[in-house]
Amino acid sequence: MSGMFLKVFDWVNHRLPIVNTFERHLSKHPVPKKVNFWYLFGALASVVLIIQIVSGIWLMMPYENTEEGAFASVEFIMRDVDYGWVIRYMHTTGASMFFAVVYLHMFRGLLYGSYQRPRELVWIFGMTIYLVMMAEGFLGYVLPYGQMSYWGAQVIISLFGAIPYIGESLEVWVRGDYYISGATISRFFALHVVALPLILIALVFMHLVALHEVGAGNPEGIDIEKHVDEDGVPLDSVPFFPYKVLNALVGIGVFMIVFSIIMFFFPEMGGYFLEKANFEEANPLSTPEHIAPVWYYSPYYAMLRAVPDKLGGLIVMAGAIAILFVVPWLDRSKVASIRYKGIFSKIALVLFATSFITLGYLGTVPVTESRKLMSVIGTVIYFGFFFLMPFYTSLEKTSVPPERL
Amino acid sequence: MRLVSLLLLITFSSLGYAAGGAECGDYGDCDEFDARLLDNSSLQRGLNTFINNCYGCHSLQYSRWGRVAKDLDIPESILFEKLVFDPNAKSGDLMKGSLDKKASEEWFGVAPPDLTLVARSRGSNWIYTYLRTYYEDGSKQYGVNNLVYPNTAMPNVLEYYQGKQILGCKQVPSYASNGGVRRDADRNIITEEECGHLLLAEGSGKYTAAEFDTIIFDLTNFLTYVAEPVRADRERIGWFVILFFVVFTALSYLLFREYQKDYH
Repeated sequence: MSGMFLKVFDWVNHRLPIVNTFERHLSKHPVPKKVNFWYLFGALASVVLIIQIVSGIWLMMPYENTEEGAFASVEFIMRDVDYGWVIRYMHTTGASMFFAVVYLHMFRGLLYGSYQRPRELVWIFGMTIYLVMMAEGFLGYVLPYGQMSYWGAQVIISLFGAIPYIGESLEVWVRGDYYISGATISRFFALHVVALPLILIALVFMHLVALHEVGAGNPEGIDIEKHVDEDGVPLDSVPFFPYKVLNALVGIGVFMIVFSIIMFFFPEMGGYFLEKANFEEANPLSTPEHIAPVWYYSPYYAMLRAVPDKLGGLIVMAGAIAILFVVPWLDRSKVASIRYKGIFSKIALVLFATSFITLGYLGTVPVTESRKLMSVIGTVIYFGFFFLMPFYTSLEKTSVPPERL
Repeated sequence: MRLVSLLLLITFSSLGYAAGGAECGDYGDCDEFDARLLDNSSLQRGLNTFINNCYGCHSLQYSRWGRVAKDLDIPESILFEKLVFDPNAKSGDLMKGSLDKKASEEWFGVAPPDLTLVARSRGSNWIYTYLRTYYEDGSKQYGVNNLVYPNTAMPNVLEYYQGKQILGCKQVPSYASNGGVRRDADRNIITEEECGHLLLAEGSGKYTAAEFDTIIFDLTNFLTYVAEPVRADRERIGWFVILFFVVFTALSYLLFREYQKDYH
């Protein structure tokens, strides 16, 4: 039997590089032997991606993509579908956790200069994933068709209206109607469950292929390929399997404990993961007192509100995301890791992280004069981090990283 | 470095917190409600209060009779005999209520909302407080107003249970500028008159204030249950899932440590 199986496997392998591909991407590829916990979030992101895809498929079965049925079908899932609540909470917790791990993953990139040569493309694919994720999250948020789904979508889609000349027609084109309606839900549904996940998976694939081409980075920010053995394998590396898989497994275990605590005990996470107003069915005739985006968009929402002009706000918001793409070319430092960068880079990164978190908080609360001022300051710091990067990274005094890990 | 960022964050966020309305309107912070979802007798009393006082106008349209009977441990025959007034209703039917939405909108100006999810959209604390903060106000259509939800369209349906409440003044302890209670030379607390308090006309209702609070507690408890019937189950199952991952993490850590010896 096993002889037969081997023959078939051999036959296929000669025509399809199964072993080769598997070894290249999942077992033998060398990874730096010494990294820290910051290097786990990529693996965690792929775990959440799988959770989202699997739970999403099952949610899709009983979900009804109509104006009349959407909200009720979600309650049907929560009450009448066997363990439907497990699937739904998995998906809602997963959405927030996806952003949480991706934000930490991105911060790791900034911390250790993961975007630097030769990993610019890895960074760009990653940023594209982030962009698609934001669209994916937004579309998915509309589907349960609660008050916040409706009014959140109303605010976001009306942003298109700020674009000169084509704005208004663009709005109608996105909605598929003159107002948010069943047409909007069904097209958002198609995009959320088919179009964007396909793009997302393709991008994740490219992110990984590009990463395995240039090799993973490390917290010292040094090139481990400078010191290789006679087979060309870096001396400071270990094969992905079993060493890094086991390492990741521990991280995944801890992550799943956190995930389960939220999912089973705090699925609403105090209104940050599931907003209170979204337990009320969408009502076009009654605007909620306070429209707040989910936490993972809120920094950008705060920036949008910091600018008095709608088009200006839109440009600032889009710019805030766009500027992340060019980070590899803004950083002029001789070293990659924050450990060896100078004091300016360190201060800049702390200010940046603080402004991002503060903006995130400001985006979830109603505007007051003082908060508006803080949003403006936060936005200026956010952009300052990037605009000044070429200067502070090239002018500051850096220290010399070690040769080996 | 971390300290600096933490300090910055704290300064920034405390500035942000400075403004913002109270959760329970004119009442201020809501009264705390701690759900007791495993207390079936409380849930049953809550269901009873709901069906007899609220269900005439408010539906529970995502909930089914049979599910409530099963979860609250009520034999279906008893539920249907005592609490289901529609002779054609079946166990699998949704609790849609009998009030016509269109007509009720004409009668009340606004259709009484469905309450299946109100404990999740408004919060249990809010309901628990709202139902206890009605007061007499002759200027309103039904002669009552509410502190939590000023100008509410709902009459005080449970007034015959609670009795009449008025907004009035009473003596309260006065506080010095340092936050301490002020006392006179004989250590007696100095009081001052403060208005805007809910005062109950004793004996004007069927129940005492404490009994009424229990009724509202049970009702809120039931609404909390019906907003998420799986909650008790979810919290029970959660422990097992977490336990599984704790064991999983421990074992993978041991394995990881063993393999790590190869390259350390």
